[in-house]
Formats: sequence, structure tokens, C-alpha cells
Amino acid sequence: MKLRMKHPLTNVLIWLYALLSIYPLFWMISYSLKNNNEIFVTNPFGFPLHPRFENYKTAWTSFNVPQYFMNSVIVSVVTVVFSLSMAVLFAYAVARMRWRFSGAARTYMTIGMFVPVQVIMIPLAILMRDFHLANSYLTLIVPYIAFNLSFATLVFYGFFRGVPVDLEEAACIDGASIYRTFFSVMLPIIRPSIATMIIFVFLAAWNEFPIAMMLISKESLKTLPLGLLFFQGQFTTDWGAMGAAMTIASLPTLLLYILFSEQVENALTVGSAVKG
Amino acid sequence: MRKYLGNKTAILLFILPALLLYTVVVFYPVVQVFYRSFFDWDGLSEASFIYFDNYIRLFHDHIFYTSLYNSAVFAVIIAIVQITIGTMLAFAVAEVAMRGRKFVRITVFIPVVLSITVVCQLWLAMYNGEYGLINKLFEMLGLHYRQDWLSNKNTAIFALAAVNAWQYMGYHFALLLAGVKSIPESYMEAARIDGASKMKAHLSITMPLLGETYKFCLILAFTGGLNAFANMYIMTSGGPGTTTYTLTYMMFRSAFRVGEFGYGSASAAFLVIECLVVTLIINKLIARDPIVY
Repeated sequence: MKLRMKHPLTNVLIWLYALLSIYPLFWMISYSLKNNNEIFVTNPFGFPLHPRFENYKTAWTSFNVPQYFMNSVIVSVVTVVFSLSMAVLFAYAVARMRWRFSGAARTYMTIGMFVPVQVIMIPLAILMRDFHLANSYLTLIVPYIAFNLSFATLVFYGFFRGVPVDLEEAACIDGASIYRTFFSVMLPIIRPSIATMIIFVFLAAWNEFPIAMMLISKESLKTLPLGLLFFQGQFTTDWGAMGAAMTIASLPTLLLYILFSEQVENALTVGSAVKG
Repeated sequence: MRKYLGNKTAILLFILPALLLYTVVVFYPVVQVFYRSFFDWDGLSEASFIYFDNYIRLFHDHIFYTSLYNSAVFAVIIAIVQITIGTMLAFAVAEVAMRGRKFVRITVFIPVVLSITVVCQLWLAMYNGEYGLINKLFEMLGLHYRQDWLSNKNTAIFALAAVNAWQYMGYHFALLLAGVKSIPESYMEAARIDGASKMKAHLSITMPLLGETYKFCLILAFTGGLNAFANMYIMTSGGPGTTTYTLTYMMFRSAFRVGEFGYGSASAAFLVIECLVVTLIINKLIARDPIVY
């Protein structure tokens, strides 16, 4: 208690930063409920005085927002399912099973964490073209899955290493096959880490921008981050509706964070334990 | 047991999907970047091997130097801003006595989960020279300081860095907070009993113990800064002129706008090496073994 009294200035600064951090979001949500006149002239900073919920209707019906939204959902969900399944299998084989190259395989997989996506954009675009995946959902899904593998593998690896070997021995003596052991003994044990990685991969896929921007040109395949980009030039006349569209796009991740704030923070910072 | 966990079929089944996909989509392209950087290639027709010509051209390209400079400015600004503010906030929020710490924690982290497109669009609107919030704010304060932040070649790169620093500060904050919390309280208590002020105790006890976390934050901020792309692409298109180009933006333009895939690959290859060197330097500077309490 004493401490707080001693540093009023620090507290003021902290609250100022918190305000700076949240205000743009507040501003976006409030202008999504205003008309142009209110946004630019009469009330640029504050709460909407006459909330115009019809902006949301306009955003949802006249732009391609439902389409973008669906695309984002499809791409993110498929990415989460496949990248985590592949990673968890790989991590198990490397962490628990005994074979000669397991160490090498793990190191090889780790290299991927140090490759920035942007760097391999050119070969990736050509690869997708040569596989005839360009302009299908797979052109995003395949790279997204691949790019999440390294990190997910490493996180699962850490968790698998912490499980005592007795469990597998017991399962083996009870006559369970290795597959059975994996699915009904090991997977349930590392469930918390799977939850963490679902959040991590979902956020990464939902917000991904550079790959989507370089590989997708077809309107019907655009995900939200890409779709939102292009209607600014087109619809600058209706700012309220644009704000509404951006709010809709941010809603899933915002809700995810507000509902599971601690898990999300853990999910995003779990990397510090393995990287560096 | 040895045989049980050494089941070859199971191992193959478990590793093959991930291994194949990773090799084709992540590893092979990295090799390709280096290989293609020695070719004159438009992505379609026959490529011709031109030795180091792409690199020689790169080192004579003035945009390359602008890009290097911008990446460096960008990386340094976001590293300093994010790590300094992140540290201060983490120390404050770690304090049990602080009122509203949960609220501060959430508000500070929220920008991290937003899409970069949304963030850039928001700041575009706020920076706008005519009706932007920032200029309006100056007006309200009675200052005649109207600026077109993003079209001014002296301010553009700083304005972009501010957006990135703002968005991802919360990430560094969360990393540092997790680090601070992992330090046993007895360390701090001991220092306090010896008469060190809170500030002093943080400076000489907490911060050195956070070495590992700082290393991670620095690597993240620097490689993130050197690879910066989305901010430039959405907010300035590399302009005004070429003043906000980065290596990634240069690569993007070479390959996808001008069709010079070989030349683009050369800038990408340079970027990989640059990131590697920076990571190694940071690792060297903050060389310490992980601490186990």
C-alpha cells in the first residue's frame, strides 16, 4: 500500500499507456456506430450519440464480409486440425520412441522456426503454381499447416518429455498396441498443451497476412485480413460501415482473448521457453 | 520395451506426414531462395545462371541501402520502445498492491490479437493529414502542428515503427511478466531487507535474472523489424518514393511486380543471412545459461 502512495507518477504513466493501448480499438468500435458527419465533424472522439446499428447490416450485406469471414473460418479450422495432428504425431515419435535419427529429425524440424515466412515467398508462390493449388483454399492451408509444424512440434516435444516412461511400460504390459497407447494414454495427458496450441495456431492463421496477400487474388477466396484491405479504396464514402466490418473481423479473436485471457497469453508466450 | 518403442512402422507413420510437408513447403523453398539468387529468371521461362550478378547489382542498388537503413531504424525503434515500456509495465503489474492490474494487463495485450490489417487501417485513419485523430488532438491542444505523417519522407518510417511498436508491445510485456513471476520472491525480499529501494532491487536483481527473456525479446524485435513488410505494404506502399522500403518489400516488388524472381531471391537470401547474424550477435552478447531456481 505504501508503495502505491510513493509512486503516483508511475501509476499515472501506466494508466496513460493503458489508455493509449485501448483507445484506438474503442475509437473503431464507436465509429462503427456513427455516420460520416459524426465521425469527422461533430463527435470524432467520444461515444456514438445515436448508435447506428444499421452500419453492421450494411457491412454484412453489401461488402463481401460473410464470404471473407467463412473463408477465414475454413482456413483457420483446417489449419489447426491438420497442423496439430501432424505435429503431435511427429513430436511423440521424436520424444518417446527409440530410433537412430530422432535427434537429427528434431533439429531439422527446429530450423523452420528461424525461417521468416516472407523470405520464402517467391519459391512458395512457384511451388503452389506448379502443384496447381493456386486459387484454391489449399494454397493457403498447405503453407499455414507447414509453417506451424516446427513450433507446435517443439512445444509438444517438451510436454512429451515430461511424461514418465512407466505409463508406456504399463500399457505395453497390459497388451495395448503402440497406437492404442498413444491415443488413449499419451494424448489425454498432454491435453493442456493441445489446448494452448489450438489457441496459438488459430490466432496465427486467422490474422495471417503476407502469405494470403501474395498467393490469393481471387475475390471468393480472400480471408478477412486480405478482404478488409481492399475495400478501403472502394468504399471510403461509408466509414461507419467500414468500421463495422473491421469490428466484425476482430470479434472472434477479441472474444477468444477476453474469455480466455490467461490461456491466450500463455499460448502466445509459450515460445519463450523453447526459442532463443 | 525397447522393441515396443522401436516399432519401425509406427515411427514411420508418425513422422512421415509432418516430415514430408515440412520438407516440401518450408525447407525446400529456403534452399531454392539461395539457389535461385544466382539466376536471371522471370519465374516462367528458362533461367540462366549468372554467378554473383544479382548480388553485385544488389550492392549497387540505392534502394537496397534505403531498405537496410529502414529495417535498422524500424528494428531499433520497436526493440527500444517495446522492451522499455514492457519492462516498466511488467514490474508494475507484478506488484500485488497495484489497483486494476488485471485491467491494465488485458488492455495492454489486446492489440496483439488484432489483425495487422485492422491495426494498419485504424492508424491510417488516425494519421490522416486532413481529418486524422492525431492532428485533431494537436488542434484541440491549441498547437499548429498539422502533419501528413505518412507522406512526409522524414516522418514516415517513424510513424510506421510506432504502429508496430504499439501493436506488439503487449507481447513483450506478457513475456517479461511471465519472466518476473518466475523469479522467487525471496530474492526480492532479501534485497529489500538489505535496504535496497524497489527501483534498485529491480535494476540489480530482477533485470539480470531476466537475461534469457531479454534475449528472446531482442531476437524477436530485431528479426521482426528486419522482416517488416505488412506495415509498409498496407500503409505506405513503400513510399513516399522509396523512403519506407525494407528488404522484404524490395523482394516482393522485384518478384511480384517487376517479375525479377532471381533478383528478388537475392534480397531474400541476404535477409536470411542478416537475421542469422543478428540472432548470433544477440546470443553472443547475452550469453548465459538458463537459470533454474
